[in-house]
Amino acid sequence: MTAVELAKPISVVPDLTDGVREGKRKPNADLVIALGLTVLIVTLLAWNITGFPTASDDEGTYLAQAWATQHGRGLAHYTYWYDHPPLGWIQLAGLSWLPAVLAPELIAVAAGRIAMLPVQAIGLLLVYLVSRRIGLPRWAASLALTAYGLSPLYLTMGRQIYLDAFAVVWILGALALALSPRKHLWHFAAAGAATATAILSKETIAVVLPAVLVAMWQNTARSSTRPWAFGAFASGLVLVGCFYPLYAVLRGELFPGPGHVSLIGAWEFQLGSRTSSGSVFSSGSGASSLLHSWLYYDPVILIAGAAACLAGLALRRVRPIALAGAILMAVALRPGGYLPAMYVVQVLPFFAIALAGVIAWAVTTLRPGRVWWRWAVLGTMISLSVLVVAPRWYVGDRRALSVDDNAPYVQAADYLRGQLPGREGATVVVDDVLWLDCVNAGYPPEKVIWFYKIDLDSAVAKRLPDGWRDVDYVVSTPAMRQDPNSLPTVRTLLTRSTVIASFGPAGGQIEIRRVDKETS
Amino acid sequence: MIFVSVVLSAFAAVTLWWTMHAWRTPETLAATRFAPPDGEQHLTFSLLLPARHEQAVLEHTVARLLESTHEAFEIIIIVGHDDRETAEVADRVAGTAPGRILVVTDHNEVKNKPRALNTALPYARGEVVGVFDAEDQVHPELLEHVDHAFRATGADVVQGGVQLINFHSSWYSLHNCLEYFFWFRSRLHLHAKKGFIPLGGNTVFVRTDVLRRANGWDGTCLAEDCDLGVRLSSRGSKVVVAYDSTIVTREETPDSLRGLLKQRTRWNQGFLQVLRKGEWRRLPALRQRLLARYTLTGPFLQAFSGVVIPIGVAIALWARLPVLVALLTFLPVLPMAATLMFQVVGLRDFGKEYDLKIKWHHYARLVVGAFPYAVVLATAALRAVWREYTGRRNWELTAHVGAHLTAPAIEGSAA
Repeated sequence: MTAVELAKPISVVPDLTDGVREGKRKPNADLVIALGLTVLIVTLLAWNITGFPTASDDEGTYLAQAWATQHGRGLAHYTYWYDHPPLGWIQLAGLSWLPAVLAPELIAVAAGRIAMLPVQAIGLLLVYLVSRRIGLPRWAASLALTAYGLSPLYLTMGRQIYLDAFAVVWILGALALALSPRKHLWHFAAAGAATATAILSKETIAVVLPAVLVAMWQNTARSSTRPWAFGAFASGLVLVGCFYPLYAVLRGELFPGPGHVSLIGAWEFQLGSRTSSGSVFSSGSGASSLLHSWLYYDPVILIAGAAACLAGLALRRVRPIALAGAILMAVALRPGGYLPAMYVVQVLPFFAIALAGVIAWAVTTLRPGRVWWRWAVLGTMISLSVLVVAPRWYVGDRRALSVDDNAPYVQAADYLRGQLPGREGATVVVDDVLWLDCVNAGYPPEKVIWFYKIDLDSAVAKRLPDGWRDVDYVVSTPAMRQDPNSLPTVRTLLTRSTVIASFGPAGGQIEIRRVDKETS
Repeated sequence: MIFVSVVLSAFAAVTLWWTMHAWRTPETLAATRFAPPDGEQHLTFSLLLPARHEQAVLEHTVARLLESTHEAFEIIIIVGHDDRETAEVADRVAGTAPGRILVVTDHNEVKNKPRALNTALPYARGEVVGVFDAEDQVHPELLEHVDHAFRATGADVVQGGVQLINFHSSWYSLHNCLEYFFWFRSRLHLHAKKGFIPLGGNTVFVRTDVLRRANGWDGTCLAEDCDLGVRLSSRGSKVVVAYDSTIVTREETPDSLRGLLKQRTRWNQGFLQVLRKGEWRRLPALRQRLLARYTLTGPFLQAFSGVVIPIGVAIALWARLPVLVALLTFLPVLPMAATLMFQVVGLRDFGKEYDLKIKWHHYARLVVGAFPYAVVLATAALRAVWREYTGRRNWELTAHVGAHLTAPAIEGSAA
C-alpha cells in the first residue's frame, strides 16, 4: 500500500551535498577533509594546553560549579544566584570527570581544559558543515575551518574552559539544522531546541537568534512547509528554553523578594546595574583594553572577519552568517555596556565562515578560467595575504605551543597539597582557580573560600562570625589583587598577613600568606 | 510519577510525530495530493448513501452527487422501513433521475450503518462501491479523480479526504475540524504507507469484488469503517489515500456537545471492538501489528494523557516536590504544547486551503479550548469502555442539521 505517487515531485533539494549524510553511503571527500583538518587543529590545541594561556579565574569558576553539579551539591557550591543559565557547566560536568580520573596529577584547570577538546572538535566540524550548507565549495569550507582553527586567538581562547564554547557548538548546530537540505520538519524543531540549549549554555548567544531565523527563512523559501518549519522551530526553542524560568518558578525564585535570590533580579543586575566596561573607542576603558588584547593575539581574523561580515550581508547565501557576525559586532561596539573577556569566542566562527564566504564569492566572480591576467590578480592576492598572515600566525601559534605560564599555579597547588603547615581545620581563602585543587587535596569544601564570596555572599559571611580573623591563610594571586578596593575584607586579609611561600615572577607571583591575627 | 511522565511524553511524542507525517518535508507533502486526472473514464461506480432521519439534508446531497462530471455511476439510497419521512424524500429525488438512483429499504429490526450498507451491496452494479453519508457535500470532480487513482495505482481501496468545515459553529467544532484536518491531511497517509489503515466512514471507495469477497461490512461493529480497513489491510489489499482540499468531501460537526460525545463514544467503542476481534493479528509484519495495536488503543491513551498531564503539572506547581522530579513532570508538556503550536499553524493552513477567514479569536479559542476538549475526549473514552464492558452496543446516531451547508452564507468568503 502506498500513497498516490505524483508524476514526480519537483526536487527542492539544492545542489549542495550534505556532509554528514553522504558520509554514510561512501567515504566521501567532505568527511575526510573535515576530519583531517579537525584532527590537526585539535592536536595543536592539545599541545601545551596545560601551560598556555594562564589559568583564568572564570575557568576555575565554571569548573568548580561543574564539580558541585557532579557531587550533587546543586548548581553551584555557593548559593546559585542565576548569574548564568546552568546548562554550560552541567555539560562540562558530564565531560570533566574523565580527565580528572585519567590524569589526577594535573591541576584542576589543566585537566578541565582537556575535557574541552571534544567540544572544540565538534565546533570545528560544524564550522565546515555550516560552510558547506551555505553553499561554499570544499576549498572554501576548508579555508573557513583552517582560518578559525589556526588563528592564534582561537588557539588561545579555544583551550580555555568557557561556557561560550558550548554555546558556539550549539548555535552552529542550530544553523546546520536550520540549513538542512532535506528541510525535514524535525530538523527545524531540533534547530529550535539547539538554539535554546545554546542560550541556556551562555545567554549572550541569544543575540544571534535572528541569524538562525534568516537561515531558516532562506532555506524554506518557495517551500510549501515554511509555516510548519517555523512552528517547529518555535516549539523547540520555547519548550526547551522555558525549563530555565520553570526551574526558578518551582524554587519560588522567579521574582525578586527579601531573603532569596531571583532570576528576574539577576537579569536586572546583568542588564542594568553591571558596571560598564566603557566604549571600545575610548582609550583606557576596560572594553578598549580588552579589544587591544584580542588584537594583540590576532588582528588578522578580527579585522578581515569584521570586514567580511559587513560585505557578506550583501551576498544571499552568506547573509545569515554575516548577520550573526554583524550583530555580535554591534553589541560589542555599543557604548556603555559590559563586554566579557571571552566574548570573542562567540565571534570567531562567524568571522571565519564569513571570510571564507566572501573570498569564495570573489574567486567565483573573478572566474580565472584561461584569462592570464585574472590568474595573475588571484595569484597576487593569495601570495600577499599569505605574506601578511603567515608570519603573524606563526609567531602567535608558536607561543601557544611552547610558553608555560602556569608553573606558579602548579607549584602553589603542590604546596597547598603537601606543605602547608597546620592545614587540618584551617580556613583558606583562594581564587577560583585553586579552589578545586584544594578540595581535591582533601580540604573540606566549606573551609576553602572563594575570595570575593567573603564580601559578597551573606551565607559565607555567616560562617565567619569574626570576619577576617576567622581566616588562617590567604593565597594571593593576580586575580585577587586586581581590584582590591571593592572587596574590603579581602583587602584587610592581604594587608594583615605574611608571605610564607611565593611562586612565579614579581607582579604575577602567587603568594601563600598566613593571616596575622595577633597584631590586631 | 517520573515513570508516568516518561511514558506519557513518549506516547505524546510518537503521536505528534505521526500526526505531522505529511509536513515532514516538502516532498512528503507533495506526495499526499491526488494526481491530476487524465480525463478518461474507465470505471463504473455504485455510490451507497445510507440515510436515517436525515430528510433535511438528503436532497441537497443527492443533487450534489448528480452534478458529478463522471458519466458511469449509480446512487443507491438506503432508508429504514420505519423512517417514512426520509423514504418520502428519497423516492421524490429518485423520480428526478430515473435509472441513476435506486432506493433500497432496510428491513433489519436493529438499524445501523453497516447493516444498511450490507442491504445495498447485492444491488450494486458498479465495479467500485463508494460510501457517502447523507449530509456529505461531494465535489463534482471527485469521481474522476478516484477513477484515475484506481487505474494509476492499481489500488483495491481509495480513501478520499473528508473535512469538517463549520469551525465557527462552536468552541468544540473548531477542535473537531482540526482533528479531521490533521487526520486526513496527514496521519492517514502514514497508515497507508505502513500497510495498516483504519478507513474513514465515507468518501471511501472499494472494488466491488474485493468488498464482496470480504463479506461486506460487519453489522455488529460500531466502527464498521475502521473494521473494514483492518480486515482489508490484513488480507493484503492495496489502499491508497489521496487528499486534495479542492475536492474533499465536506461535512459538519455534531450539532451539540452531547452529539459529539455520543459520536466519539461510538468510535472509541468501535475501536475497542476491532481491537478485541483480533483481525489485526493477521497482519504480516510485527511493525504493522504494533502500529495496529497502538492505533486502536490510541484514543484511550490520548484521552488519558490529555487529562493527566495538566493535572500532573498542577501537582508539580502546587505541591512541594523535589525540583528535579517537578521538572520531569513537565516533560510530557513538551510534545503536548508542541501539538498545540502545530494546531495553531494547522488552523492557519486550514483557513488558507479552504479559503476561510480565520480571525485572532479563533486562535484564542483554539488555545483556550484545548483542555476542555481533552476532557470531552477523555469522557467519551471512559464512556466507551464502560458501555463495552456493560454490554451496551447499540448505535447512538448523531443528528445533522446542515450547518456546513449554511456556512458559506455566514462566512461570506467560503467556497
